[in-house]
Amino acid sequence: MSATATEGVASPTKLQGVSYVGTSLTKSFDGAVVLNDATVTFEPGEIHSIVGENGAGKSTLVKILSGIYQPDSGTLVLGGERLIGLHPHNAQQRGIYLVPQEPSLMESLSVTENLFVGILRRRRFPFLVDWRPMRREASGYLERVGLDIDPEMRADELSVAQQQLVECARALVHRCQVLFFDEPTSPLTAHEADTLFDVMRNLRDSGFTLGFISHRLDEVLAISDRLTVLRDGKIVMRETRDQFARPAVVSAMVGREIVTRVRERGEQDLTANKEMLAVTNLTLEPYFRDISFVLREGEILGLGGLVGSGRTEIAETIYGLRSAERGRVEVEGVALAHRTPRDCVDAGLIYLPEDRGRHGIFAEVEVTRNVTAGVIHRLPRRGPLLRPAAERRMAEEATKTTAVRMPTIDALMKTLSGGNQQRSMLARWLLAEPKVAIFDEPTRGVDIGAKDDIWTLVIKLAHEGLACLLISSELTELTMICDRVLAIYEGSVVGELTGDDITDARLGAMVVGPVAR
Amino acid sequence: MSANPGGTVSAGTPVDLSANRRGRASIDQVWVWVLVVLLGLELLYFSLTSTGFWGGGSGMLSASSEFLDVSVMALGLALVIFAGEIDLSIGAMASLSGIVMAQLWHVEGLNIWLATLITLVMAAGLGALNGFIITKFGIGSLLVTLATQFIFSSVATAVSGESPPYGFPKAFLTITGTGSIGPIPADLIIFAVLALFIGLLVSRTRYGRSLVLVGHNRPAARYSGVNVSRTLIWAFIGSAVFAAIAGIMIAGVYNAVRDDVGIPLLLPSVTIVVLGGVDIFGGKGRISGVIIASIIIGYVSVGLLDGGSTPLTVTMVQGIVLIVGLIIKISLDRRGGVAFRDALARFFARQHLGKATVSSDV
Amino acid sequence: MTATGQALSYLDQQMPGETGEKARSRLVAILMRREVQLLVALLLMSGIVDVLRPQFLSSSNISFMLAGSVVIMVVATGQTMVIITRGIDLSVAPMLGIAAIAIGFPAQNHNLNIFVALVLVILIGIALGVGNGLLVTVAGIPPIIATLATLSVYGGLQFVFTSGLTVISLPHDYIAVGLEDIVPGIPWLLLIGVGIVIVAELFLKFTPWGRAIYAVGNNADAAYRAGIPVRRTLFMTYIICGLLSGIGGFVYLCYIGSASSTTGTDTNVNLISIAATLIGGTSLLGGRGRPIGAALGAVFLSVADTAIVVLRILPIWEPAGAGVLILLAVVTDRQSGPATRRALRTRHHAEVAA
Repeated sequence: MSATATEGVASPTKLQGVSYVGTSLTKSFDGAVVLNDATVTFEPGEIHSIVGENGAGKSTLVKILSGIYQPDSGTLVLGGERLIGLHPHNAQQRGIYLVPQEPSLMESLSVTENLFVGILRRRRFPFLVDWRPMRREASGYLERVGLDIDPEMRADELSVAQQQLVECARALVHRCQVLFFDEPTSPLTAHEADTLFDVMRNLRDSGFTLGFISHRLDEVLAISDRLTVLRDGKIVMRETRDQFARPAVVSAMVGREIVTRVRERGEQDLTANKEMLAVTNLTLEPYFRDISFVLREGEILGLGGLVGSGRTEIAETIYGLRSAERGRVEVEGVALAHRTPRDCVDAGLIYLPEDRGRHGIFAEVEVTRNVTAGVIHRLPRRGPLLRPAAERRMAEEATKTTAVRMPTIDALMKTLSGGNQQRSMLARWLLAEPKVAIFDEPTRGVDIGAKDDIWTLVIKLAHEGLACLLISSELTELTMICDRVLAIYEGSVVGELTGDDITDARLGAMVVGPVAR
Repeated sequence: MSANPGGTVSAGTPVDLSANRRGRASIDQVWVWVLVVLLGLELLYFSLTSTGFWGGGSGMLSASSEFLDVSVMALGLALVIFAGEIDLSIGAMASLSGIVMAQLWHVEGLNIWLATLITLVMAAGLGALNGFIITKFGIGSLLVTLATQFIFSSVATAVSGESPPYGFPKAFLTITGTGSIGPIPADLIIFAVLALFIGLLVSRTRYGRSLVLVGHNRPAARYSGVNVSRTLIWAFIGSAVFAAIAGIMIAGVYNAVRDDVGIPLLLPSVTIVVLGGVDIFGGKGRISGVIIASIIIGYVSVGLLDGGSTPLTVTMVQGIVLIVGLIIKISLDRRGGVAFRDALARFFARQHLGKATVSSDV
Repeated sequence: MTATGQALSYLDQQMPGETGEKARSRLVAILMRREVQLLVALLLMSGIVDVLRPQFLSSSNISFMLAGSVVIMVVATGQTMVIITRGIDLSVAPMLGIAAIAIGFPAQNHNLNIFVALVLVILIGIALGVGNGLLVTVAGIPPIIATLATLSVYGGLQFVFTSGLTVISLPHDYIAVGLEDIVPGIPWLLLIGVGIVIVAELFLKFTPWGRAIYAVGNNADAAYRAGIPVRRTLFMTYIICGLLSGIGGFVYLCYIGSASSTTGTDTNVNLISIAATLIGGTSLLGGRGRPIGAALGAVFLSVADTAIVVLRILPIWEPAGAGVLILLAVVTDRQSGPATRRALRTRHHAEVAA
């Protein structure tokens, strides 16, 4: 044991470390093979990333590695010992910790208790809980992950980023040496993500064994020491840091050569077109203020910015889900005051929300009803009674337009893949015959094939006259299909780019803060 | 954990049409058939064990008057439960309605039909009040209706006074209580009409669509343009009005009103709706199931009472029926529609905690 | 040395020693607590009524009100634990009733020893609680439905066991427990009530099983992953609630001096225990709440009850009053933060199996 007492918390001594090996892991659901003979090794002192598109099997893999799923075949070996019967309730005891995508803490309990849940310190006799040592130790663990907070704070008083760091601290408290991070940056701003990465590097340098699951290639390439690419349930590439090459990785993920797409739109003079959506001085503190812009027929206007910059809140306010403090929204010149979503849809303004699972789909309902959910009041009927056959035909046509792949139109929404669910959402809103459409992160969580389809569809719709507001955190997406982009930073418009001026670089510079004078 | 995504992962895999993929709709339908079978068994049992069950005047059909009030109440309650809420105040509402109607007729001298109409309007108002408090203040319906149950109950006692009115006009009694067309009792006709109305409302109207979607995923319904508050308020108006109708039917059958007739009807109503397959968390279920379940539960009580059991015993048996029915149903749900035998087998095997997957992405 | 051993010593070494407690505005924190607010409201109400009716705060009346609160105090303690786990127990009334008659008749007819009676109600309460626990954790029935069902089943059983008879006379020591004071103004019954509340508070704050109840109520999934036996914890909660309802039956019997087939339901024990729990600061969404809050809520309701009588308000308005109080308690629940809003959106219960 080489620990030296004089070394501080910031540069701790190295652990001996354990390696975690999954060999020939295979898993099927309902006859479909989702993981096929996958072998991965996680070594101490490394950040090993698993990448792949949605549906590639990386989520299944990490769930097997952390005990949530049991593999049909294959073995798990931790520190030289074979793991039998790994389940969620004993994974932490065995030293494996999964930091979930959304932190899952006990909201009403203190941070201290959250850290020690399950392994509360007790007095020797009479087996009562002893809070004092826990409070003492909690601060130490929190410092280790860079959190300077009072451990007696309730967990729900923390921000999402802080809660995530508490999850990391929990891993330390439980003496876990193997940590898996499942898409941890999804709910974080760029700055918060950087903080998380610092903590991860710190842990790596101390000898922990880290696994990082993501489909965000830029992050992965920045932080990993090693990466493994999954496609269709199989391992298709293994690389170490010195070999990283973005195009090769993307090809491996997608299975074909991807030509970097050039801006598709070309120059368009849309200034003569009709104003479809006019937003003036829209303000809702603390989310955003004085947002003004005009969106014309056939135009694709992008709203770029980091996660948390307020764009979704802007969209929700335009759409009537939130009440603005001041400002005006006009559709086709008609002011919509005290809007509800229904008022907007009736006026021709639709909104495709960013959180599909929570705000978009009805998982346990058939595709038909999901698709017609936006136009309930316009469904074909005889007197007061609806006509189900006609409704079904409506839904079938719409899903054909957006090429939804599903077993039948009566299948439950939850059986569709993410990409097809998104296509169904598009079908829903197309039925509403919109004139203005707000797309909020339309290709998030969607595999590359569907991404392409969605972009093509949006361009086609714009061509046919639909005014599109595209909210995205993916610079490439904005660069490729937008005619104009507004950069939003912390609730204010900080820049605008038009036509060929829109590049990843310029946009990227704008969204991280106001231009320095 | 039903972690079974069904989307095709590799392009070559053929599409799998297992029962699970056909999904929820077929589970709901299967359950209705299970209920039909149960009803058949029950009717068989009663025809064998109690004489005159199928007979004319005092037989099966006319006996239905004794339980149809609860069935009507359950129809209204189903609306609220479809929306993912609950209404515990329906029992008190029934008593209150009976008493208010009786007092309006007796004390104010109003025509009894006018009194009935005014009572229904009052019920609608109180139901709207429930709905308003729930939607405006965001307080759960369990709490609100638990509280209003007791408020309505107190009001009922206050209004009924020392000796509540009785002895209603013959026409009224015939139509709402003891009359019949041929062998079919008036109450059964009322129930059939109301059942048809609710059935069509839920499955074939725009409101019904909105209601069910609200029950499935309230935020998503809102984002789709559904006016969630209004939908909920109407649901509570519905449950209140139907409870009032039940209260008036009771007045007709027994030719009297009391301030405590309604409260014991709450449990059987909930039993009927839940047994009928409507998910307590909202969205899933069929009205046809509720209708059949109401007949099953109704005859349980009638059969037992005729056999000499006390009302408390009847309630007890209803509780047992609810428990057994739920155990069967929940095990069916978990396996997503796989054969019942499999379901039972797997039910006794070890189960894990987990969240249901929303999409089939792995 | 094994890898794990090394990790342990390494991590232990890293932990710094004492870290200073950060200063907090202690007084404000205390004042914001529901229990304190409730106590203040209670004292205010008593004071006001005493001004209107000067004999209100006499020692005999205080004793009366305190004794009258103990039944609910005990039952609400159990209800609190169940509600913390995001459940609810609507069967406490007949559980109390069955316990009361189960010892009432032997006490009346065969002079059942009072200590044996206490043991018996505990056993009966546990048995009845097991029924609820099985339905919720094994059958996976949502607590509201499960306990609605047991409400009727146990209610029926209560009737069957009494065959319609009523306990009307009890041996002296039961009556003494029920009616006598330790010192003027403090009844013996209060000792039982307070004792149970103290034990419950200690249990919830200082035992791993008690903390598990909070963990499960907050986030059952995270609790499971942390190694807490969720099913067992929920099961235990319903057993405790049954146990405490049983003791409530004992207290009821001593205090009222009789028991019948409708004991429990005829005094709205269900509603009042839930009201006391909610007024005391427990949230129906789970995760937080304390027995002492429920106890204060019970006293509050008992005092309010007596106040209604003393102020000549018609007793038929009592249930209405309880209803209004519940609504007020929830509306004024200041502690609801982002967690509650999120929970309101998702509305999950502590599901035992998906």
